Amino acid sequence: MAARVTLQGVNLHFGGVKVLRDVSFDVEPGSVFGLVGPNGAGKTSLFNCISGHYRPSSGSIRIDGTEVRGSRPSHMASFGLARTFQHPALQLRETVLENVMLGAHTRLRGGPVAWSLRLPHVVRAEKELRGEALRLLEENGLGWAAHRRADELSHGLHKGVELCRALMMRPGLLLLDEPAAGLPHSEVEQLIDTVRRLRAESDVTIIIVEHHMGLIAALTDRVVVLDHGAKLMEGTAAEAQSDPRVIEAYIGKDEADAAS
Amino acid sequence: MSNLLKKPAVRWGALVVLVALAVVLPLMLPEVANDTIARICVFAVAVLGLNVVMGYGGQVSLGQIFFLGLGSYVTAYGATNDWNIVLTFLAALVLPAIAGLVIALAAARLGGLAIAMVTIALPIVGLPLARRLDHWTGGSQGLSSRFSDAPEWTGLYHDQWQLYIVLVIAVVTFVLVRNFVRGKFGRALAIVKENEAVASSMGISPYWYKVLSFTIASMVGGISGFMYMSVVQYTSPETLAFHHSITLLAAMVVGGSATLAGSVIGGVYFVFVPVLTNAINPNLTAMLQGAILLLVLFLLPGGLASLPRRIAGLRRSSGSRPGAPPREEAATRAVQKAASKQPTRKADQ
Ligand SMILES: Nc1ncnc2c1ncn2[C@@H]1O[C@H](COP(=O)(O)OP(=O)(O)OP(=O)(O)O)[C@@H](O)[C@H]1O
Ligand SMILES: [Mg+2]
Repeated sequence: MAARVTLQGVNLHFGGVKVLRDVSFDVEPGSVFGLVGPNGAGKTSLFNCISGHYRPSSGSIRIDGTEVRGSRPSHMASFGLARTFQHPALQLRETVLENVMLGAHTRLRGGPVAWSLRLPHVVRAEKELRGEALRLLEENGLGWAAHRRADELSHGLHKGVELCRALMMRPGLLLLDEPAAGLPHSEVEQLIDTVRRLRAESDVTIIIVEHHMGLIAALTDRVVVLDHGAKLMEGTAAEAQSDPRVIEAYIGKDEADAAS
Repeated sequence: MSNLLKKPAVRWGALVVLVALAVVLPLMLPEVANDTIARICVFAVAVLGLNVVMGYGGQVSLGQIFFLGLGSYVTAYGATNDWNIVLTFLAALVLPAIAGLVIALAAARLGGLAIAMVTIALPIVGLPLARRLDHWTGGSQGLSSRFSDAPEWTGLYHDQWQLYIVLVIAVVTFVLVRNFVRGKFGRALAIVKENEAVASSMGISPYWYKVLSFTIASMVGGISGFMYMSVVQYTSPETLAFHHSITLLAAMVVGGSATLAGSVIGGVYFVFVPVLTNAINPNLTAMLQGAILLLVLFLLPGGLASLPRRIAGLRRSSGSRPGAPPREEAATRAVQKAASKQPTRKADQ
């Protein structure tokens, strides 16, 4: 079930540092929503607020009308939330398949006793899961890597594996933090296809943080531009790209970077 | 050779041979050998428990010996009070588990090194407590019980009977723990150890999984306490002295953390190495053991259990290793290769 996400007046402070200032927006169920802004704008922090890893200082975050601000991150999966991380964190010594299967954790029934005894239903569930994970990897062009150890794969492929792991959760809300960062052009195209397919086939709301404007333009229905923790504008990707304030935020940032 | 081991027929054959050996050997070996093997079983299970919380769970525990001690005391108490043996076993398993649960509920909330700190306190508090509570523990004298003597009808010697008891318990415990650390719970523990933020994003509460692994480690410690009492037939405050906990930890690291084979090697280490270093020079025992630990940590960080993999790795790295992501043509080759090559992590079976 695709989720509606509503943020109202979200503020996040670390000591005296204001990382997010009064951020509000609404994400339609089933849409693809872009979150852009220069480095350090607070995009990842905003994801962390939604996923419960950060607790906003004030404001409200609702998923399908339920207030989730202050929920434990481990509780957010029960709201149908899945996310990837800007720096993919896979278990490098495990196979890609095991990494992906982890995503289905909350769907697996049975407690420690059932799993220690390998009761028939547990064995069956594990086997079905293995098949499901393999299919998902194949759909995403990673079937060949299933039995490789994760550390044998390139960084770009880790992003793909992490996406599969998140998809194993069958999310209603999917947060992707810079899924295209570090990918070669051909793989960005592939990623765009993947997200399009997801949107067509699964009932999911997707929020993407990305610097790759081509990807944002190709995929998103709406975008919010963040700058210094505050919402600069909201609209379509095309509107954002031609908005002078947005251009200034990026160029100003670049000049500041060049000067430092 | 490792490919050979993966054929089901070979596996079943090996299993049959092992079972046959486990049945026949105790009947043929001299008493001292049976006794030594039985002790190895005891401490292999104790190290296995430590591995659950530390190797697989990633939390430093310096208190594992406390749970072995608790299990041994519960067993001794039950045996001297003529409890039913099954009841005694269950008590020796459940009481340490409850103790572990209560401790973990409090300590895991504190996070960081809190569990390590609390677990240091366990044997340190446990030892004087065992002395003081002499109504239950027999004070400094300790408790002894011959509950594990061979019954008349078996026609076995005591050492043979005891070895059978601990072999059965050890094998069952190893199989159950092996199942536990695979699949759902294995994956969850591994990600909690590796990255708590990712774990929680998968709906896995790091807190509860820490509590769970600590509780199971305590329970397995309790089981090893029952086994200890079955073999040694005597327990005293010395059983849960802090330095044994350190030796258990060293045994786990030297054997190989987060591996089952490493737990068995750890049991061997625990039984032999202190005796060995003591024989070389009683004044240098601690130093020699420290040196062994450092040597293993530097040369084989994965412990002795990783030795076969290490050798295989060295042999393979002289050939070519496909590291780059394959393009279209290479992909088919990779599929063939993946199909012929088994996942490497099954090496610790
Ligand atoms: N845990 C934290 N403690 C203190 N400051 C933090 C913390 N997390 C983020 N920040 C600060 O918040 C600001 C925004 O960081 P954030 O990672 O959200 O930016 P971003 O928009 O994701 O940038 P990028 O495009 O580089 O990923 C930064 O100045 C960062 O230093
Ligand atoms: Mg970021």
